[in-house]
Amino acid sequence: MMHLLSFALCLAAFAALALAMERQQHDLFGRPLEPALTRALRMTGTSALLLALGVLVNWQGWGLGLVMLSGHTSLAAGVVFCTIIRIMNGGGRRGAPPRTAQSRPLPTSSRSSP
Amino acid sequence: MEKDQRSPGRGIRQSMSGLHIWAGLLMGWILYAMFLTGTVSYFKDELSQWMRPELAHQAELPDPALVAQRIADELVASVPGSPQWSMRLPDARTNSVYAFWRTAPGSAEGGRRAFGEANFDPATGGKVTARDTLGGDFFYRFHFQFHYMPALWGRWIAGAAAMFMLVAIVSGVITHKKIFVDFFTFRGGKGQRSWLDAHNALSVFGLPFHFMITYTGLVTLMALYMPWGEQLAIKTQAERQQMTAELNAFIQPGKPSGQAVPLAPVAEMVRQAQERWGRENVGRVTATNPGDSTARVAVARGESGRVSMSPQYMLFEGTTGRLLEVREGVGSAAETRGVLYALHLGRFSDGVTRWLYFLVSLMGTAMVGTGLVMWTVKRRQKLADPERPHIGFRIVERLNIASIAGLSVAMTAYLWGNRLLPAGLAERAAWEIHLFFAVWALTLAHAVLRPAKAAWIEQLWAAAALLALLPVLNAVTTDRPLWHSLGQGDWVFIGTDLMCWALAALHAVLAIRTARHRPKLRAAPAKGRTGIIGGALEEGRS
Repeated sequence: MMHLLSFALCLAAFAALALAMERQQHDLFGRPLEPALTRALRMTGTSALLLALGVLVNWQGWGLGLVMLSGHTSLAAGVVFCTIIRIMNGGGRRGAPPRTAQSRPLPTSSRSSP
Repeated sequence: MEKDQRSPGRGIRQSMSGLHIWAGLLMGWILYAMFLTGTVSYFKDELSQWMRPELAHQAELPDPALVAQRIADELVASVPGSPQWSMRLPDARTNSVYAFWRTAPGSAEGGRRAFGEANFDPATGGKVTARDTLGGDFFYRFHFQFHYMPALWGRWIAGAAAMFMLVAIVSGVITHKKIFVDFFTFRGGKGQRSWLDAHNALSVFGLPFHFMITYTGLVTLMALYMPWGEQLAIKTQAERQQMTAELNAFIQPGKPSGQAVPLAPVAEMVRQAQERWGRENVGRVTATNPGDSTARVAVARGESGRVSMSPQYMLFEGTTGRLLEVREGVGSAAETRGVLYALHLGRFSDGVTRWLYFLVSLMGTAMVGTGLVMWTVKRRQKLADPERPHIGFRIVERLNIASIAGLSVAMTAYLWGNRLLPAGLAERAAWEIHLFFAVWALTLAHAVLRPAKAAWIEQLWAAAALLALLPVLNAVTTDRPLWHSLGQGDWVFIGTDLMCWALAALHAVLAIRTARHRPKLRAAPAKGRTGIIGGALEEGRS
């Protein structure tokens, strides 16, 4: 049960953190979200991760708690990642020509040059 | 990686990129095999149960104290005069008791330092009569010492591979740089770019695990790789014994008195340990000079729930059962090693944590696999004549097929051998292993003889078919088919059957994606050409 709770928290955390990212906002919504909303998502994600850590450490102590958190975060990040890919591919198939989501110009240039 | 040429710091990142690519490639095939067999080893006890179907499903854990007494009686009777024996008590994951002993000096069984070992039935105390197999321990041992070579050589090779892995991880992190910015980035349908994104995701999500597992893997064998400190500091026999006591719970036999005194009831000693650590948290019972007036018995704490392999045990006087000492801590250096060791093996895990270990380790396997395939994807675009690649490219391409798809076929063949080889076959356990290597060699021959794309597809389908049919084979050759296991609530057999089908589905998806892949339709940037493997699996993960 504690495992389920902390995994759900990690999942929610990474979903929020992913939605707070510029590239994912472009891919999923076609535009960047409000800066305030982005900040809120980032805060939510970070807090949920810390909460998951708290749940596990409170339950099993630091040694096992950290090990379990590491497992849950790795898996949750993977699940969120695969879900985003699925949403983007599914969206492409239903509506617009395939792979519009991916072929849309990505806001990379502003990032890769510091 | 070339995409980032605009950014400054290009010198160090490009040299790190080179280091990452070549450190990863040179040991990549060995690392892939180490990763996959190591991943499977998180379930080695379950696999061993599955591979000994004669041993009945253990619906309820028998009282460890009673089992300890039963096996102790059996050992006293069957190996009299043994200076030391040790048994691992059954837990929720094992349905037999593994014990080993030193043979009595001058006995018919062998020389002074000879050892014997056997699995015992917890219910009767007798030796189990299951088919001769190494079970899941084969994958476990192969994972760090390989086979067909002295164990020490294998461990040195594994150590070198782990060092390469550590170099690849550190240089990979430096090369990647945009770990957080690109955390969730996946650009599909873009050949090399998609492979890189997949490789990055697999690496970054599991990064704490990948780094930990590689580093702690080296720590498990550190006394072999770096013996000098120990050689300088530990000189006398007494010091050596003291160090051994810091590292494990195997107490060493002293000089026997020659005066025969029967061993006090072991069950009582185990009960005291149960009171201290919990009914099912007693791991191992070791006796020295049993039957002699100098006998000692150590009852060690189990591994569950504590992230440390450092020894904790209660020491009893063997003749009276009097508690002599409780040992629950070691020095800080030994404890550091104990913790790192425990992190690698993950034996403290509950069921969920064990699955997390397994899944993240599988991500690590896929990380190595995608890295290997990416080497060919990247170079295929630059080949002068894609129809006739140069020899280096061909070697890498074919080795990739046999070491990735071929290993799946070979590992499944090992399980088929377990069900199909006749029970009376001499050296049966060894033949299961010969079969594994024979099939693996055949997949290499097949990969060399067939066109690359066809070889990938055929081997992936072969693995999928072998995995999908394994539960059927189990149903036909044993009296423990899936419907029977379901009725019994036998989760080891149910889990194995379901896992075979899940892995069969995974291999089938990869095979279908590879077969469907049409490079020209993917409209990869201009030079797409016949990127056969090149993007062949590119969407297989999604």
